[in-house]
Amino acid sequence: MMAKITNTTLLVRRCIIDSEKWAQLRKTLAKPPSSKSMKEAAEAFRKYRGEQIRLGQNSKPTLVTLGYGTGYPNAVPLDKIPEELERNPEFYELMKRVVAEG
Amino acid sequence: MPGLLLVPDYDLATRSASGFILRWISPRMAPIQLYSILDRRLPFRLSAPQSDIIIGVGHGGPDVLAGQNSGVILKVGQYNPKEIEGKVIKLLACQTGVTLGPDLIDNGAECYMGYVDDYVWIVDEDVIGTPWNDALAIPCLEPVVDGINALLDGQTAEEAFNLELKGYSEYAQVEENLLIRACINFNMKNAVLLGNKEAVVKQRPSIVFPIGPPPFPKFF
Repeated sequence: MMAKITNTTLLVRRCIIDSEKWAQLRKTLAKPPSSKSMKEAAEAFRKYRGEQIRLGQNSKPTLVTLGYGTGYPNAVPLDKIPEELERNPEFYELMKRVVAEG
Repeated sequence: MPGLLLVPDYDLATRSASGFILRWISPRMAPIQLYSILDRRLPFRLSAPQSDIIIGVGHGGPDVLAGQNSGVILKVGQYNPKEIEGKVIKLLACQTGVTLGPDLIDNGAECYMGYVDDYVWIVDEDVIGTPWNDALAIPCLEPVVDGINALLDGQTAEEAFNLELKGYSEYAQVEENLLIRACINFNMKNAVLLGNKEAVVKQRPSIVFPIGPPPFPKFF
């Protein structure tokens, strides 16, 4: 007999999937910046974000900071974070501080 | 004694942060408000000495607070100590707690509240015309608003600071989105209070308008 799928079931499932992808992202971002680790982090973020979109969390979310004269943009749409992670070591360091060490 | 509010609105980050301040703090802070193009060095220099509290939103670095279009408002070694002497200062900006905050205290500010690393949060661009309705930004910016409101209610700097930390902590416990939760924890970890923890400012009447300000025009 198939189990009845309720909103709670979906929520729990989403949280578990989110947690797994998030743990992977944190693990990747814990490494020092290098072209390899930046590429891995970009891929890990794509997977994390991909799960969120697939499960219906979709709007126009953008990561913003109030930094002055930083080497990264003050606003990065979540969809563009992988690209920024892949090419910008300073943005990688910021995400490392927020995600891996936060 | 009036209070001084610095609220730039020239990009996504400043619009979002200033939006919350305009909606929830601004009605209590008349008359000196340096909003948008008024958020520049000269108006600040003229109005700061008359104020008992300075609430500044803006882009910041270790030794600088910027106003509209990144014009410098406060920079270590480039301001007159009379502008900040005896003031309670709250800066919603990145990294000002590293050098600028201690410098303000050394130059006579009563107390300083700010952050020693970047201030990060998630904004929903779909609602940037009315940022005070942005559900993604609320978990980070509402604790800031609560802390400032506590100051304006006459609570001490330490009480207001602890209220902000408590707000972060409560939101972090219930937030499902792990990236937003990481931002909350990051901001909480980097919040600092320097100077006189018992500092208070003149109590302001609690005014909350039933509706928000007019939406921001779309110019970017």
